[in-house]
Amino acid sequence: MEKEIIKFNDVTIGYGKKKIIENISVSIYENDFVGIVGPNGAGKTTFLKTLLGTLKPLSGTIKKNSHRFGYVPQRDTVQPLLPYTVEDVVMMGRYSLMGTFGKPGKNDKEAVEASLSHVGIHHLKGFNYNSLSGGQRQRTLIARALAVEPNILILDEPTNGMDTPSHYTLLDLISGLHDENKLTILLVSHLLSDVANGVKRLILMEKDFFQVGPIEEVLSEENLKKTYSSDFNVNKIEEEYIITSKHRK
Amino acid sequence: MDVVNQLIQLFPYAVLGSILAGMICGFLGTFVVSQRVVFLGATLTQVSVAGVAFSFLHLLNIEGWLASLFGIVVTHNSFLHNFEPAFFSLLFAVIVVLIFSQTYRQKALTQDGILGIIFVVAVALRIMFIQKSPVAEVSEVESILKGDILFIGQSQFYTLLGIFIFTLGVFTIFHKQLKFVTFDADSASAHGINSRLWLLIFYIVVGMGISLTTRFVGDVFTFAYLIIPSSIGILLSKKVWQVFLIAVITGAVIPPVSIYLAFKYDFSSGPAAVVTAFILFLIVYSYKKLRDNL
Repeated sequence: MEKEIIKFNDVTIGYGKKKIIENISVSIYENDFVGIVGPNGAGKTTFLKTLLGTLKPLSGTIKKNSHRFGYVPQRDTVQPLLPYTVEDVVMMGRYSLMGTFGKPGKNDKEAVEASLSHVGIHHLKGFNYNSLSGGQRQRTLIARALAVEPNILILDEPTNGMDTPSHYTLLDLISGLHDENKLTILLVSHLLSDVANGVKRLILMEKDFFQVGPIEEVLSEENLKKTYSSDFNVNKIEEEYIITSKHRK
Repeated sequence: MDVVNQLIQLFPYAVLGSILAGMICGFLGTFVVSQRVVFLGATLTQVSVAGVAFSFLHLLNIEGWLASLFGIVVTHNSFLHNFEPAFFSLLFAVIVVLIFSQTYRQKALTQDGILGIIFVVAVALRIMFIQKSPVAEVSEVESILKGDILFIGQSQFYTLLGIFIFTLGVFTIFHKQLKFVTFDADSASAHGINSRLWLLIFYIVVGMGISLTTRFVGDVFTFAYLIIPSSIGILLSKKVWQVFLIAVITGAVIPPVSIYLAFKYDFSSGPAAVVTAFILFLIVYSYKKLRDNL
């Protein structure tokens, strides 16, 4: 077992006094690849924000070592009116490392170049962020998160609204970041198939239901029914999970 | 040329002050428009006017307190005499931005909804404060509503210069933090920048700029110059720095031209400045449409 780097101990998450999920206990390990799945409104983003520290837990404790997070938000939440270039956006990832009064130095510029190359959009660095396709924007936001030189990469619905080819190339990119760069990754998605065939461990999340463990243990028809209030077939064919609704003929 | 000479001789500070006010609004407006909080600009101008109206009730004698503290004799034309309206305008605006800056994460109401409530309450309070003000001073409140660029004197000019330097200074020194939190506050937080604090600083600086500019050049001028020059900048620019440059230059150039036109054709200077800016906006918008379709 790898080293434990984050531990939620009996944590309740929510906004203000509104509890979304109570008594969460979960650990994240070094080089982990965790998928977080649940229906819309289940509290996935709230869970992430609590993990990142941008929301305080309503109760319980979260133990985090001094790790650096790279965060990729939902693409639709970033729609600037100002004509920022791709390079401008990725450089933002370096800001917290420069200190309050620091300016971008050689290291920062190199880190931005490396991040852009890593996600395959170096040729777009002078382009206006607003002029990019959905997939290119998502890669820009991933490059920004990588520019932080993170230990833990957190992606919130990275494939939302993408066409099929972009969808799968992006999932390949994310898997590559885990396999080749040994990054700990938390991937939030409402698409079960995105997560089931990529991650090591799975968190199934719904109000009053929180299940975490290795994918082969958690991805069961019974758990999916509790999460989605719907019946699913879960089959494994040639090492790939096929999940279909029982209501489909 | 006679009109120009007369303006320079009779209203030198009005001309210079209008340039500064336009530059402040153009600069701040770029953030306001790009943050999609245009209604914040409208609300703050009304809140600022309500603050000025409140000062005429003389419920709190700040001038007298400061005068006794520093042993100053307050004359009608002294800086301190003008302090109280500006103080309350600023105070009201800062209270509103403090409330607003804490609302971006709450989900019970939209930010527009919150601003809408503050807007109508500010307008209502302004009317109530004016009704209870001594009659002689009601005209001053009304003149603020109309926008009296020509009444900018030496002290107002230097105050506007101070606001301009302060605003530019804050945004230059802390451009990294302010850029990131205004672009994507959640990610900035996740990446170690205290978004709540920096958004608070951002809104306080915006609130200060808007409230004091409203005090000196009126709510119509201030709101128009928050929106129009920055919109022109966004329409014409391909780089972020170009947006700011065009917004600030537009904000600087149009007010003196409109004062000239107002003087020559006998219009109120505030509304003339707004209409002149709007005509330029129409020209730029049409040019942009034509260019994009070619």
